[in-house]
Amino acid sequence: MNATTLSLREGLARRVVRGVGSPRLTLALIALVGLAVIGHARVEGGLAGPLAAAFAMAAANLAAALLTNARLRADLALFVFHLSLLALLALAATGRLTALTGTLELAQGEVFDGHLLTREAGPLHPDRLARLRFVNDGFTIDYAEGWRRGRTTNDVRAFGQDGRAVHHAIGDITPLVLEGYRFYTTSNKGFAIVMRWVPRGGQPPERGTVHLPSYPLNEHRQAQSWRIPGTSREAWVMLDLDAPAIDPSRASTFQLPGAHRLVFVTGGERRELRPGDNISVPEGVLVYEGLTAWMGYKVYYDPTLPWLLACAAVGVLALAAFFWRRFGREGRGA
Amino acid sequence: MEAQLLGAAVAGYGLAGSFALVGTVMRRRLEMAVVGLLAGGLLAHTASLALRWERVGHGPFISMFEVLSSNVWSLTLVFLAAYLRVRAVRPAAAVALPFIFVLMAWMLVTHPDDGHFPATYRTLWLYAHVGFGKVFLGALLVSAAVGVLMVSGPPGARALRAGGLPDEARAEQLALRFLALAFVFESMMLVTGAIWAQDAWGRYWAWDPLETWSFLTWLALAGLLHARFTLRLAPRATALAIAGVFVLAVLTFFGMPFVSTALHKGAI
Repeated sequence: MNATTLSLREGLARRVVRGVGSPRLTLALIALVGLAVIGHARVEGGLAGPLAAAFAMAAANLAAALLTNARLRADLALFVFHLSLLALLALAATGRLTALTGTLELAQGEVFDGHLLTREAGPLHPDRLARLRFVNDGFTIDYAEGWRRGRTTNDVRAFGQDGRAVHHAIGDITPLVLEGYRFYTTSNKGFAIVMRWVPRGGQPPERGTVHLPSYPLNEHRQAQSWRIPGTSREAWVMLDLDAPAIDPSRASTFQLPGAHRLVFVTGGERRELRPGDNISVPEGVLVYEGLTAWMGYKVYYDPTLPWLLACAAVGVLALAAFFWRRFGREGRGA
Repeated sequence: MEAQLLGAAVAGYGLAGSFALVGTVMRRRLEMAVVGLLAGGLLAHTASLALRWERVGHGPFISMFEVLSSNVWSLTLVFLAAYLRVRAVRPAAAVALPFIFVLMAWMLVTHPDDGHFPATYRTLWLYAHVGFGKVFLGALLVSAAVGVLMVSGPPGARALRAGGLPDEARAEQLALRFLALAFVFESMMLVTGAIWAQDAWGRYWAWDPLETWSFLTWLALAGLLHARFTLRLAPRATALAIAGVFVLAVLTFFGMPFVSTALHKGAI
């Protein structure tokens, strides 16, 4: 390969990069991103792929423009603004690869052991959930008349690696943050049935909870099917309340219902249980201990969050500085 | 008292808009009357909003009535500030104030229910987000009003000349200044909204309808500024495009609640 060929190739590469960074292409790509966003919003399930592709093309255009457009580099504020935009796109993409979103439910007194009910994680997510421990120590929710939800306060204790517990009051706009994982209370919460299962085979008794559907959203559907642990026996329970647990006619708080019956059905047999009652089945004995409450949490992990914020802040400041100088200069000149 | 003060404000704004129109059409200098009526209306409106805030226990952020009322207030405030600070903006009152009047008419036929203030709204980020959004829309209104005058033929050109803008290029510069201000404030609105959404709902961006259309408005603004500065658009084309972006912003702010039932504010 001689010097002429090399120079031709360099010239071609430069032309390609300049073409990719062309201001006219920027305009076309802004329109393309706009179309992708509209498509993402309108199509059921979204159009994540085309949206990501449009943003990737815009990022390539931005990077090429930063490399080849001398005017863009000549003005520091304008350069920093465009660099911030590029960094935001790169960070958002990194975030998608490393982020985790999930949900979990914890009854009062229950410890989070890393298990999630739903989970969506990027392929590069460094899973450290199993190391985290916190216990739901109970919550209060204020309601205005008509079941309009007010302030939520959830007491939790988080346990460090040394086993020491630290109390936190979370809820609404205050998440519990553990090793970058942010746990949020949600509007999803309800009653849980506390049962003790004593197997006949001599195995140790087990205590557990059955979470009923979210309350008061599912006021008239307070029933749940479940399987008795270690057996193939299906059971169905329904909470039968004499009156709504939260009075919708006045300001109130989330509270456990007073008078109630638990309808229990298994193997075609129907029983009504009150706290302390038990029911015998061939595999063992179930004891209904009472009701408690469960809270639904959303967990979110994205290590790029502080960097996104920093880039956005720098970008906006740079943009303001650019316009301030540009129009200030023109204003003085006019 | 709250309703009477609001009535007084509406009367003040309406008269100010009428004076601005008459001044433009009849070529009369009625600027002091416009300023006086706008300022008086604004004071009455501020008092009415304060009384309502005290009564219902939350700011005007929830019901459509509150959103419209607070936007009428903020648009008037931003426009009055521009009117007093930048003399060349004054002819644009003939376009901006009738728009505000349309919002007022809409507000008056909307049921003034109190709404319920969600717990996730109890944060300073709400005030930052909403405040930046209001400055954004106000600056965009000023820019669009100048733009509309630019494309209104001889009467518009005459009005702009009377305000000290002898040619299209200078009028365009004025419109672009306010457009740039709108762009900066919309960016801040989106950033503060994302911070709030992260704290309140565990996600900084979820492409809900209002987020989607706010981003599209930001994109349109970015595209317009980019086109103007790199492709040297003609002043009239810029003016038309600014008016188009303003329409998009208005549809986003006031139209989305009707198009989508999804609550931007998250589950209540």
